[in-house]
Amino acid sequence: MHKIIKFLIKPKLFAVTIMWLMVLVVLGTLAQKDMGLFAAQNKYFSSWIIWFYFLPMPGGRFTLFIISINLCFFFFNKNIWKIKKLGIIILHIGGILLLIGGGLTGMFSSEGNMVIDEGAQSNYVEDYHYMELAVINVTATDFDDYIIFDQPLLKRDKILSHENCNFEIEVVKYFENCLPEKRSSMAGIQYRGMLKNFMLTELKQEKENNLNRPGLIYQINNTGTSLDGIYGIFLGQTVPQTISVNNQNYVITLRRQRIYLPFSIELLDFKKVLYPGTEIAKSYSSEINLLEHGAARRILIQMNEPLRYKGYTFFQSSFIEGPEGETTVLAVVKNYGRLFPYISSIIMCIGLLFHLSLKLPELFKKSKGKIS
Amino acid sequence: MKLCNILLLLIISFSGILLPRDFDHRDIPIHENGRIKPLDTFVRNQLLTIYGKRSIKSKTLQKEISSTELSAIDWFFDIVLNPEEGDKYSVFNIKNPEVVGSLGLHWDPHHLYNSSEVLSGLKNQLDYIVNIQGKPENELTQFDKQILQVYSNVIRYQELSYSLSCLLPMIQIQDNTIAQILSVNPGDKLSYYQLMRKANELSPLMEKLLNKNREEWSESDHELQHIMGVLNEIDQDKFARILKIIPPQIGNQNKAWLSPWELMESRTIGPNQEKLLITLELFLESRIEKNTVKSNAVLAEYEDLLTHPFNGLFNIDNIKLETWTNKANLFYKSISLYLLAFFLLAISWMTKPKLLRRISFFCLLGGLAFHFYGILLRIIIMQRPPVSTLYESIIFVSLIGVICASLLEYNRKDGMGIFMGAIIGGVLHFVGFGYADDGDTLGMLVAVLNSNFWLATHVTTITTGYGTSLFAGLLGHVYLLQIIRNPNNTEYLKKVNANMFGATLFALFFTLFGTILGGIWADQSWGRFWGWDPKENGALLIVMWQIMMLHLRITGMVKPLGFALGMILNNIVVILAWFGVNLLSVGLHSYGFASGIAWNLALFIAFELITGFGTYYWAKSRRESITA
Repeated sequence: MHKIIKFLIKPKLFAVTIMWLMVLVVLGTLAQKDMGLFAAQNKYFSSWIIWFYFLPMPGGRFTLFIISINLCFFFFNKNIWKIKKLGIIILHIGGILLLIGGGLTGMFSSEGNMVIDEGAQSNYVEDYHYMELAVINVTATDFDDYIIFDQPLLKRDKILSHENCNFEIEVVKYFENCLPEKRSSMAGIQYRGMLKNFMLTELKQEKENNLNRPGLIYQINNTGTSLDGIYGIFLGQTVPQTISVNNQNYVITLRRQRIYLPFSIELLDFKKVLYPGTEIAKSYSSEINLLEHGAARRILIQMNEPLRYKGYTFFQSSFIEGPEGETTVLAVVKNYGRLFPYISSIIMCIGLLFHLSLKLPELFKKSKGKIS
Repeated sequence: MKLCNILLLLIISFSGILLPRDFDHRDIPIHENGRIKPLDTFVRNQLLTIYGKRSIKSKTLQKEISSTELSAIDWFFDIVLNPEEGDKYSVFNIKNPEVVGSLGLHWDPHHLYNSSEVLSGLKNQLDYIVNIQGKPENELTQFDKQILQVYSNVIRYQELSYSLSCLLPMIQIQDNTIAQILSVNPGDKLSYYQLMRKANELSPLMEKLLNKNREEWSESDHELQHIMGVLNEIDQDKFARILKIIPPQIGNQNKAWLSPWELMESRTIGPNQEKLLITLELFLESRIEKNTVKSNAVLAEYEDLLTHPFNGLFNIDNIKLETWTNKANLFYKSISLYLLAFFLLAISWMTKPKLLRRISFFCLLGGLAFHFYGILLRIIIMQRPPVSTLYESIIFVSLIGVICASLLEYNRKDGMGIFMGAIIGGVLHFVGFGYADDGDTLGMLVAVLNSNFWLATHVTTITTGYGTSLFAGLLGHVYLLQIIRNPNNTEYLKKVNANMFGATLFALFFTLFGTILGGIWADQSWGRFWGWDPKENGALLIVMWQIMMLHLRITGMVKPLGFALGMILNNIVVILAWFGVNLLSVGLHSYGFASGIAWNLALFIAFELITGFGTYYWAKSRRESITA
């Protein structure tokens, strides 16, 4: 035990890990050019282990974890508890808080988009990256019954079933990016729905994740009718797949994973202001109504001025201009660690200033040495 | 004594702001790229695009123009007043021999051609140009891009030279009857706009003319027809809309300004706009007459017209200040003083060390004063913090470097600070001039950057961090060189080492908080503190490198010699984070995507690696040979 502590306390460990972290940062930055930010981030920074071909190496998360532990053990060093080193101690406490905040954010924060047309409202956030397959029972007139299958389930040969759903879905193939194309020849008899006339062709994944159009080929089993067969679906499909089994009507769609909010947002007006006579944007803003329990609150969200409400933060992120009016895109973030950088930077600032004020006069003492 | 000198220098350099100056033709405000700026800035940038420089050098001018240099504004008014004579200036700078050949031009050693030469050459290539205009940017060859550039320059030039033709007195009224109707004297010259204002008086005459047979036309009828012909001819210039100098009638920040020709077209000219146009007309007239008294009076009226009805649109004092800044060339003054400081210091190593070093230090401080004043003026003119573009970051980092060096010199008084300050100031100014030649260095900011609070905190802190880091790296160089010079002088070397360590702590303070503040800004604007964006990673690398070096040094794993090498290598990290990440062309910090800098970066890195490791091993062997 003592040996382990001795090893973890070593400044050498810190030197080695921070060097490795620098290597990772360089590699991860360069990789963004080829694989895009999201993939590079997952591979190098948010990972515990990176595989360089067959060689496993510590990933960014693991390296930062080691640094945090090393930093914690710093306080077990008896030599540092001196008034002269107070600044250093404060500085390191700030550093630990920053790392803890980073860890919390990395593990528990969630982010997504909220897309609202002018005049419309929405109460859910769409994930940037993950998809879900929604099977909606629309038989009843006064409510819909949702069955949601998350992306991790959408893998080859997985069987998706649920007690409220009287058929089974077997995943045949999931595409990260695909293109629906019209069939040139007759489809085989096993194909149903959209696939009778179209086929999904797999495309190379785009660097920017939001440019991908995911698609799914699945088989419906156990209906005992001619509905059994192979179906296809893709993101943004205008006509959703509907089937009715045993007098129950279902709609099946592939969509971005949704997180529902305990309130709704209505977009009243989106404004884009340009510098006169140019195409340079001066500001973007969305005037919204926050609807909760029947009460509406009018709020303006603009660049650098987000709305914070119930742990969620809404940022003006983008917009779409269409023939029927404007659509705002709000980035929505829920982050438990967001206060840590603020607190830790203040603590570190105090620590470093304290140390500098002790140390600098000594380091810049009036020089008496002569050039000889 | 010292304080007195510094005070005197400051007073001299600040006198530009202290003495109020009369409004003159350079200060006429114009709206371009979202900003209201003096005409002087506008034409300088136009000339820069076409000609490659901000004023016309003597070799370009024909012999009859005797002056050594022609300012952009004088060139502009000359081509505006005599649009047909603009060919006497060969201002089209075409360097590519392929383009010169394809335009059928005769090769000129100065690469300069006049507009009619270029225009006739382009006429033969029109089909080709129309063809490549439709193509996407990445399919164009270098030749295509250059020929499109020449084409757009010719259009720009034409627009400039005809931009005020509607206000020039070009239509002579000789006939008594018409002169009487228009209430002018026979022989007077009127402008297009004047005649348009009197259109009501002329229209009955026109009607009569149309109802008459040509054989029955009187002399005044013939003249009227002639006038109509000239009007029609001038009307062809209405494409020239580049000069947006007339503010919107109701002073509204978000409304576009209009050019005189656009107003001629719109037919709804507000009373204030009309007054401005008439004053401009008078001004042009006075320029033609070369009547300075009249033109001064007219310009005073122009200023008056601008200040009262269009109040709140812009600050006329800032416009004047910008014109003054254009002329003052403060950064050229500061680089000259830095270089002078360097030479004086070099001489001081040979003779009269104390006196020359002192003078040299004053030169450095003088350069610093100009440098600081230049940045201060930019802050006042733009009403925003000093750093928001790559160019601004360069001049700001150089300022920080020189300040650090001056403090070091004040502390040590042995010339080391002067040496470092002159190098940092000189080199970075030189790099900055390269960026300034891209056009207007005072641009408007995109929405996310348009936040004075964060520009003032995050951006200035991180650029201060760059400056202090480069300073610490340069100290590393100096330390190694001093060991090579004399490895025995341990007391002296200890001091330099302590300075270097202090500078690194100082640099870490700014890079660390600059980076964290950047994260906080990102959290405020986009909702995430850290996004692994290349620029963020670059800043993180600097911080990590410095933290690593400090820990290696504190724990004794690295000796002062290695620490110096580490700080030299830190320069490479800084430069890569500052310029290098822009080469990746990914990420959010897209303010400075540049392609031509890769070669320069590689050179810098090679230089630092060779000199860093070279001096490190040399210093090591020197020290070992001594101890042995």
